[in-house]
Amino acid sequence: MMTLPRRTLLGSAAGLIAAPALAQPKWPNRPVQMLCPWAAGGGTDAVARILAVLLEKDLGQPFNVVNRTGGSGVVGHTAIAQAAPDGYTIGTITSEICMLHWQGLTELTYRNYTPLGLMNSDAPGIQVNASAPYQDVKSLADAIKASAPGKLKASGTGQGGIWHLALAGWLNAMGLKADHVRWVPTNGAAPAMQDLVAGGLDFTTCSVPEARAMLDAGRARSLAVMAPARIGAFPNIPTLKEAMGVDYAVGAIRVVAAPAGLPADLVAAIAPALKRAYDTKEYQDFMNSRGFGLVYGDAAGAEKALAAADLSLGNAMKAAGLAKA
Amino acid sequence: MQLSDRVTGAVLIALGGAAAIFGARLPAVPGQDVGPAAFPMLIGGGLALCGGLIAFGIGHSFEVPEEGDDPAPPGSLHLGPLHLGRLRPLIPTALLFFYVLAVERLGFLPTAAVVVLLAAIALGARLRLAIPLAIIAPLCVHLAFYKLLRVPLPAGILPAPW
Amino acid sequence: MHDLLEAFRLVAAPDVLVAILASAIYGLVVGSLPGLSATMATALLVPVTFWLSPIAAIATIITASAMAIFSGDIPGCLLRIPGTPASAAYTDEAYAMTRKGQAEMALGAGLWFSAIGGIVGTLSLVLMAPLLAEMALSFSTYEYFWLAFLGLMCATLVARSSPIKAIASMLLGLLISCIGMENPAGTPRFTFGLTDLLGGIEPIPALVGVFAVSEVMRAMVTAEPPKLPKRKFGSILANQWMLTKKYQWPMWRGNIIGIIIGVLPGAGADMAAWVSYAMSKRFSKEPEKFGTGHPEGLVEAGASNNASLASGWVPSLLFGIPGDTITAIAIGVLYMKGLNPGPTLFTERASSMYALYIIFIIANIIMIPLGIMMIRAASVILRAPRAGVMPVIILLCAVGSYATGNNLFAVVLVGLFGMLGFVMEKNGYPVAALVLGIVMGSMVEQSFITSLIKSDGDVMPFFERPVSAVLAALTFSALLWPVGVWIWNRIRHPRLPAGGATG
Repeated sequence: MMTLPRRTLLGSAAGLIAAPALAQPKWPNRPVQMLCPWAAGGGTDAVARILAVLLEKDLGQPFNVVNRTGGSGVVGHTAIAQAAPDGYTIGTITSEICMLHWQGLTELTYRNYTPLGLMNSDAPGIQVNASAPYQDVKSLADAIKASAPGKLKASGTGQGGIWHLALAGWLNAMGLKADHVRWVPTNGAAPAMQDLVAGGLDFTTCSVPEARAMLDAGRARSLAVMAPARIGAFPNIPTLKEAMGVDYAVGAIRVVAAPAGLPADLVAAIAPALKRAYDTKEYQDFMNSRGFGLVYGDAAGAEKALAAADLSLGNAMKAAGLAKA
Repeated sequence: MQLSDRVTGAVLIALGGAAAIFGARLPAVPGQDVGPAAFPMLIGGGLALCGGLIAFGIGHSFEVPEEGDDPAPPGSLHLGPLHLGRLRPLIPTALLFFYVLAVERLGFLPTAAVVVLLAAIALGARLRLAIPLAIIAPLCVHLAFYKLLRVPLPAGILPAPW
Repeated sequence: MHDLLEAFRLVAAPDVLVAILASAIYGLVVGSLPGLSATMATALLVPVTFWLSPIAAIATIITASAMAIFSGDIPGCLLRIPGTPASAAYTDEAYAMTRKGQAEMALGAGLWFSAIGGIVGTLSLVLMAPLLAEMALSFSTYEYFWLAFLGLMCATLVARSSPIKAIASMLLGLLISCIGMENPAGTPRFTFGLTDLLGGIEPIPALVGVFAVSEVMRAMVTAEPPKLPKRKFGSILANQWMLTKKYQWPMWRGNIIGIIIGVLPGAGADMAAWVSYAMSKRFSKEPEKFGTGHPEGLVEAGASNNASLASGWVPSLLFGIPGDTITAIAIGVLYMKGLNPGPTLFTERASSMYALYIIFIIANIIMIPLGIMMIRAASVILRAPRAGVMPVIILLCAVGSYATGNNLFAVVLVGLFGMLGFVMEKNGYPVAALVLGIVMGSMVEQSFITSLIKSDGDVMPFFERPVSAVLAALTFSALLWPVGVWIWNRIRHPRLPAGGATG
C-alpha cells in the first residue's frame, strides 16, 4: 500500500479546513427568475409556469416566470443569453433560436446558452378537412406528387415558421421541391385550422395539440405525425414512417437553459432538478392533457437536440429559399 | 404646435413617398406573388394623395370648428418653477424617457417619485401637494403591481420594504 | 337538467364567488385607470389563475375582462382618455357630454347598455352557439378582407372634422401597423435595425400614448378647465329607462352587430364599437348632434362592444380559436385547467359549460351595482386638482405599458406616441382613427395577401363569393359616402371652398 505523500496529506487537511470558508451558499438561496420569450397563456408560457411551480416545490425557493416578449422571440432569447450566469436567471428557449439566425435577425445561436434540460418536443401532424377524400397520408402524398407545383395549399403558421419548414422538409424527403405545395402564411395554428375547416386549404402541418379542438369536433382528420414515435395523447395517429415509409421527423422543442458559461456545479444542481420535475405526475398529467409531446433530454441531450435542430432547420430554410446567413 | 394645413399636408406627402420608396425595396418572398412591398406602397401612395388634398385645402369645407380647451390667456397659467415656455408640452415625454433610462439603475421607487414630483410641479402644484403625492403614489403603484400582480419592478438603490 | 344543477353547485362554491367578486373589482379598477387596459388586466391575471380551481380560474378571466371593457369608458368620459381601443370610438362623444354637465347620463348609458349587451351576447352564446359557430367557420379570408376594410371605413363615417384628415390618420395607423416582421411574408419592415421593433407596434402603447400622454401634454399648456359645480352625482340610472325606450332600435342593432362581429375570430370589441358607432350616426334621425354630446351613439356602441365580448367566446369554446388577445389568454387558461375547448366541453363537461354561462350572466348583473360604485368613486377625479391627477397618470402609463411584456421599449413608444397624438390633435387629425388603423392593419393585409395566395392571384373571388359581394358593396358605399355628400353639397350650395363650416 502506498503511503500518501506528506504534501498530499497536508493539502487535503488544508482543503478540509478551508472548505467551510469557501463553501458557497447552496443554490438556490433566493428567488430565481425564469424568462419566457413568449406571451402569457401560450404553450411555452404554460410549460414554463408548471415547471416553475414544480421546481419551487422541490427546491424551496420561488421560481418566477417573467414573460419578456417582443421581436418574435428575439427579445426574450436575448435577455436570457445576456443575463449573468449565476443560476438566478434561467429561461425556456424554443426552436426559434435555431431559425432566427439563419434569417439574419439575430446573432444569437444555441451556443449562447447552457442547455439544462429538454422538456418537450412537439411534432407536426398532417391534418385534412374531414370531408377530404384522403383517408391516409399515402393518398395525400400521391395527390401532392400528381399535382402541379403550387396548386395545393397548406398552412399552419407564418412564413418561415417551424411548421412551414416541416412541410418543406417533408416535400424534400419525398423528392419534391420545397415549394411544390404553396404555403399560405397565417398568424398561428388556430386561423390555419379555421381556414382548413372553411375549405380554404388542402391540408395543415401544425402540431396535433394545436389542431385538437377541430379534430375532436370531427371537422378535421389527422393523417400522420412527423415524429419518431406515436404521440402518447394521440395513439391512433400513425407516424410518417409507419404510414408511408418516409423517415422524416422534426419537432418544435422547448429547452430550459441558462446563459452560456454557467459553472458546472450549478449545471449539476439544476439539471437533475429538471429531471425530477419532468418525472412528476403533475408534469406528465399536464402534458398529456394538453397533448404536448413528452420528450426528455438531460443537459447533454438537450444540447444535441438543439444542434440537430439547428442543422435540420437550417437545411430546410435553405431549401425553401428563406435563409440569408 | 398648430401648423398650417399646407405644412401637415407636405409632411404627409413626404412620409407617404418615403414609405412607398422604401417599401418598394423590400424583396419578394418565394411562394407569394404579392410581396411585403405591396402594402407600404399602397398606403404610402394613399398618404401622399391625402397629403396633397389637404395641402390644397380640398375637403376643408367639411371642417367643423374644433372646440378645444380655451388656450390660457397669457399670464394666467399657474406656473410652477418649471416654466419652459414652448417646451412645456414635451415634459411628459421627457419624464417617460427619464423613467426608461433611470429605472433600472435607480430602482422603481426613486424614479417614480422624481417623475411624479416633476410633473406635479410643472402643472403648478404647490409643494405641500407635490411632495406627499410623490411619496405615496409610487408606493401604492409598487404595492399593486409588484405584490399583487407580480410584475418585476427593479429594486435599485431603494428597494421597497416588502 | 342534472348538469345545470351541478353547474349552479359549482358556481356557488365559496372560492368561485370570491374569485368573481375580487376579479370584478380588479377588472373595474384596472380598466378605469388611464394607462392600463383590459388586455393588460387579463394578461396579468394568468399567473394568479395558476393557484385557483378550474372554475374559479376561468371565472376571474370572464369577470375581469367584462368589467374592464365597460370601465374603460370611465376615464374616456371623464378625462378624454379611453381605457381600451373599443372605448376610443366614442370617447369624444362621451367627453362632450361631460362638458355639458351630463356625465352621469353618459356613464350610465355606458353601464346600462353594456350590461344589456353582455346579457344579450351571453344569451346568444347559450342559445345559438352552434349556429353562430357555423357562420364563423364559413368566413374565409376573402370575407375577412372586406370586413376589415369596412371597419376601417367607419373612421370616415364618424369623422366630425375633415374626412380626408380622418382617412390620413387611418392610413398613418396602417403604415405603423406595417412595422415589424409580423406580416404574411415574414420580412422585417421598417425596423431600422431595432430588435424591439421586430414584433411590430402593439396597439396598447399607441393608445395609451396618443390619448393619455397627449392629454397630459395638453394639460401643460392650457389653463385648468373650470370646475364643474360641486354637486353630488345624480342617480346614474335615472335616465336609462327613458333612453332604452327612445333608442330601442339602435340598442338592438348594436347588440346584433356586436354578436356577429364578436363571433368572427380576429374581429373583436374594438371593431364592433367602431362599426356600431358609425352605423348609429349613419342611421340616426339626428346625425348632426353626433359629436356634440349625444347619447345615441353611446347606446349602440356600448351595447355592441359588450355583446361582442360574450359572443367572442363561441369560437373559443367550440374550437379553441381565439377571437382576440383576451380570448387567446382565456383559451390558454382553459387548457391549463383541463377544460379543453371543443365538443368534449359540451358533452362530457357540460356542467362546466353551464357554469361558465352562469358566470357570464352573474358578471353582467353585478356590473351594475359595482359599476355605479366605481363611477361614483371615479367622479371624485373630476373634483381633484389636475396637478395631482396628471402625474399619477404619467406614472401609470409608464408602469402599465411596461407590465404586459416586461419591456421598457413599450414605455419609449408611449412617449413617442404621446408627441404624435399631441401634434395630430392640434392640427385636426383624429387620433382615434390612427388607433383604429394600428388595430386593424394586420387583419387587412393578412386577409388580402393570403386570399391572393389561395386564389393564385385571381381577384374575382373577392367579388364572386356571396358574403364577400355583400360586404364589398357595403364597404364601397361607406367609402363613397363622404364623396357623395361633398358632391351633393357643392351642387346645393355652390360657394368658395376655403374655410367656414358647411351651411
